[in-house]
Amino acid sequence: MKNIFKYIALCLIVLSSPILARDYLIIQSTTSTVSTGLLEYLGETFFKETGIEIRTVGVGTGQAIKNATRGDADILLVHSKKDEMKFVEEGLGIKRHDLMYNDFIIVGPKSDPAKIKNLKDLKSILKILSSGNFKFISRDDNSGTHKKEVSLWSKFNFNFEEKGWYIKTGSGMISTLNIASEMNAYTITDRATWITFKNKNFLEILFEGDENLFNPYGIIVLNPENYPHVELEKSNQFINWLLSTQGKNLIKNFKVSNNQLFFIYE
Amino acid sequence: MAYEKILEALIISLNVSIFSTLISLLVSLPLGAIIAIKTFYGRSILIACIHALTSIPPVCAGLIVYLIISRSGPLGWTGLLYTPTAMIIAQSLIIIPIMSSLILKNIEQDFKNYKEELITYGASFYVITKLLLLNRYGLYKTIALIGFGRAISEYGAAAIVGGSIDHVTRNITSSIALETSKGNLDVAIGLGGMLILISFTISFIVNRKDSFK
Repeated sequence: MKNIFKYIALCLIVLSSPILARDYLIIQSTTSTVSTGLLEYLGETFFKETGIEIRTVGVGTGQAIKNATRGDADILLVHSKKDEMKFVEEGLGIKRHDLMYNDFIIVGPKSDPAKIKNLKDLKSILKILSSGNFKFISRDDNSGTHKKEVSLWSKFNFNFEEKGWYIKTGSGMISTLNIASEMNAYTITDRATWITFKNKNFLEILFEGDENLFNPYGIIVLNPENYPHVELEKSNQFINWLLSTQGKNLIKNFKVSNNQLFFIYE
Repeated sequence: MAYEKILEALIISLNVSIFSTLISLLVSLPLGAIIAIKTFYGRSILIACIHALTSIPPVCAGLIVYLIISRSGPLGWTGLLYTPTAMIIAQSLIIIPIMSSLILKNIEQDFKNYKEELITYGASFYVITKLLLLNRYGLYKTIALIGFGRAISEYGAAAIVGGSIDHVTRNITSSIALETSKGNLDVAIGLGGMLILISFTISFIVNRKDSFK
């Protein structure tokens, strides 16, 4: 019988170690900041300076917000301003800080069967794409990019989610780009993911630069009144560090194949 | 860079799966033995449940553990979500039924064979358990290997509760999924090869022993 108690004691020791001390922050963030390597790069520098580890969970914006609402985070870093404001208004987060921005772009096959490359107007491009003759890939995962895409269709009153041309992947941005490439289809992506995307053989940028395609990222510390486990002091330290000149310079100088991925508010 | 990533994922996977195998073995041995030897009300239902649980899909095990240890769940205060410990718990949930049912079957069989002798000698429950467990010592190594093989190759459970955090919970299987989607096929192939090698080696050892004759 004694042995059984030994087993239980051993199990408890193994299980309890992470409960005792926490010198890390959990950030719920989007695939675009994680798969580009931005948060890893910022986190490593911050760790060297302060000894606080940054652990990032990279999921779609919608899921990141849901996970944060459940309390499974200290900090939320996403790109869907409306949802971020709602998160703060509901008292779940303390305050939304503007962190950085870039933009969305519409990409598609190099052969461009829909002939949208020379069009200058977002509305006419969406009209052609929604005509049903060309495949369009939607992420359909409530991510920031998906929310943006849906908001564009509805803004110009185009009917989507109809028939075979509108394909839902339910996966991350890079997988979706891969699928678009395989299916000779159009899709919308954030520029950072596009730049880091390696499989560009069959895809290219077909439209960019419209004001509707602005992509701002916000950062929020969870409200300790609702989530007592939040490491408020360390989280604030991280955010202040990001918003300082040093943090801004790090974001500005983060480059992939010589392209700046994220831009800061000067 | 690729080499470091592969090594790190391998270390995380081995670490988590070895722990989950050990914990599952420590739980399954007494559990299997008690159920095999004792007679109690609802025993057959319990056995049926354990056998049924052997086929629990890893993602569902992950989801169950996620709901329990998420901050809004009953064990949220532990802060275990997104830690290797959470992955150990989820993997244990998958392999405990597998290991218990194997141990249960074998001890039940042995107990039938030796029952009369053991009872004639007046052995207590504790002594019977101990003798029967020691009797097939080699078997438990095989069962542990089967559990380990299942734990290290599962995708879903550890990914959900671990969150695939770089340097912390990104194990082999979640790395393969991530790197493939990112187009880093060299890393994905390296990791895939390693995982196949581990699983094949385990299968090979398990089958060579012919332990289930």
